[in-house]
Amino acid sequence: MADETSDGVELVGVQVNEDTCIGAGQCEMLEEDTFYVDDDTVIAGVIGTGMLPRDRAQKVVDTCPSRAITIVEPAAEEEQ
Amino acid sequence: MSAPPLSPNVTDDSLYANGIPHERFAEIRDADGLLWHDYHDGGFWVVGRHADVKTVSKDGKVFSSAVGHTNLWDLEADALEARRSLIDTDAPDHTRLRRLVARAFTPKNIRRWEDTVRDITVNLLEAYVEQGEGDFVEAVAAPLPIQVILTMLGVPVEDSGYLVELSNFLVEGTSETQSIPADAFGNTTELRLLPFNSPASHALFEYGERIGELRRKDPQDDLVTSLVQAEAEGGDRLSGSEYRNLFHLLVFAGNETTRTSLSHGAMALADNPDQWQRVLDDPSMIDSATEEVLRWSTPVLHMRRTTTEPVEVGGTHLEAGQKVVMWYASANRDETVFDDPFRFDVGREDNPHFSFGGGGPHLCLGAYLARLEIQVLLEEMAKRNLQLTRLGEPVRAPSNFVHGVLSVDMAVEAKP
Ligand code: HEM
Ligand code: SF4
Repeated sequence: MADETSDGVELVGVQVNEDTCIGAGQCEMLEEDTFYVDDDTVIAGVIGTGMLPRDRAQKVVDTCPSRAITIVEPAAEEEQ
Repeated sequence: MSAPPLSPNVTDDSLYANGIPHERFAEIRDADGLLWHDYHDGGFWVVGRHADVKTVSKDGKVFSSAVGHTNLWDLEADALEARRSLIDTDAPDHTRLRRLVARAFTPKNIRRWEDTVRDITVNLLEAYVEQGEGDFVEAVAAPLPIQVILTMLGVPVEDSGYLVELSNFLVEGTSETQSIPADAFGNTTELRLLPFNSPASHALFEYGERIGELRRKDPQDDLVTSLVQAEAEGGDRLSGSEYRNLFHLLVFAGNETTRTSLSHGAMALADNPDQWQRVLDDPSMIDSATEEVLRWSTPVLHMRRTTTEPVEVGGTHLEAGQKVVMWYASANRDETVFDDPFRFDVGREDNPHFSFGGGGPHLCLGAYLARLEIQVLLEEMAKRNLQLTRLGEPVRAPSNFVHGVLSVDMAVEAKP
């Protein structure tokens, strides 16, 4: 079962591929509590809980110009 | 395989004499699959629908920017190599080069330039209002972006006149005729090896080297310093040729494009006073008005990619090694995405325009800087209750690549 917020919204994890991120900062703009572009490496990292409601996570995934963000399915994580 | 259906001609510059030939693009969007366009050094697939442009843009591996050229025609291998900059690379080179400049341009970091942009804008705007009427391009749209980027790069003000001059010659280099001889500025390089085939590129490279040298000795808080420091770290960070081309790209890329957007924006506001009134009545509309100015103006009409493997786009099978051209001018009027696409609507809510590209890795580096410039100009105009009126038709640069406006006479006055 996926994580949920108190009002039942499904939460998923997100991760950034450090090799393909181009530091465009779209993720940081859309979800500033979850992404942060490091000023030295110019690579985005995940901060906070790293969890987002699925629709918002999907929006960042679609917006990232280098397709560097992926959704981590909580269920898949448990199986591993 | 049977010959693919042919596209209406959209490459003759003369078709753009009175603006974008939108009827032709409507036909292209309407077709089943993609249409094929003949071209003198090899034809290309015409991508006109919003969804298909996105598919091509997003996949930099199958649709390469490094093969052939990102313009319609191929470059010879040595010319491509000599002229290669960020814009004509694929990952991993692209990723490395882009990160070297990306930091200053993230939506968050670009905000620190807001005061600079505002000072420059207010100066230009007040002088224009003082003047009362005249060419909007010369008075505001051209100087604004070049002054901003030169400040960010760290070019001293006393040199900015020279660089503005060079960049105007480059703009000219996007058309067939050049007003300066091949050996201008002491150039000895074959023109085909220079960006825009222009001797002004040679001069810009030289200037870039010179200011780079100064910043190596005496680092400042500016973009040139961060580039030469990356160069100094050596290894695979930034080569000398990459530095020159990147300096050149930064001076040029934001220049004519932003100028075009501001000029079309000003014309649209003059032609649609009801829309400008909406902004005056409710300044919170400036964000959506900025996006609409961008969609409306589409400064870059297309960019090209080359397939690296067979692939399907919009129901058509493409072979490896074929040219694919994304027409942002068409995607921005796609009726399946934009309600009433030929209406200039400053309150447009959903506005996923492709003026900065189709959302892939080459997404315009300067997108948030350009947005900031448009937004600040609208804010300062609204603050002063300015009304623009057209005094005539614009002089256009008939080009299949840039939606250029050379000049447009307007009157400007502060409404009571
Ligand atoms: C309204 C203004 C602007 C428009 C419409 C515009 C448009 C574009 C477009 C369509 C591309 C994509 C090229 C492709 O897909 O291959 C691009 C790339 C680029 N733009 Fe802009 N641009 C604007 C302003 C600026 C500014 C102000 C800068 C300032 C630095 C800039 C720098 C660049 C650079 C460096 C690239 C190459 C990015 C890469 O290949 O990773 N642009 N621009
Ligand atoms: S949007 Fe994508 S490319 Fe841009 S910083 Fe975030 S992860 Fe990196």
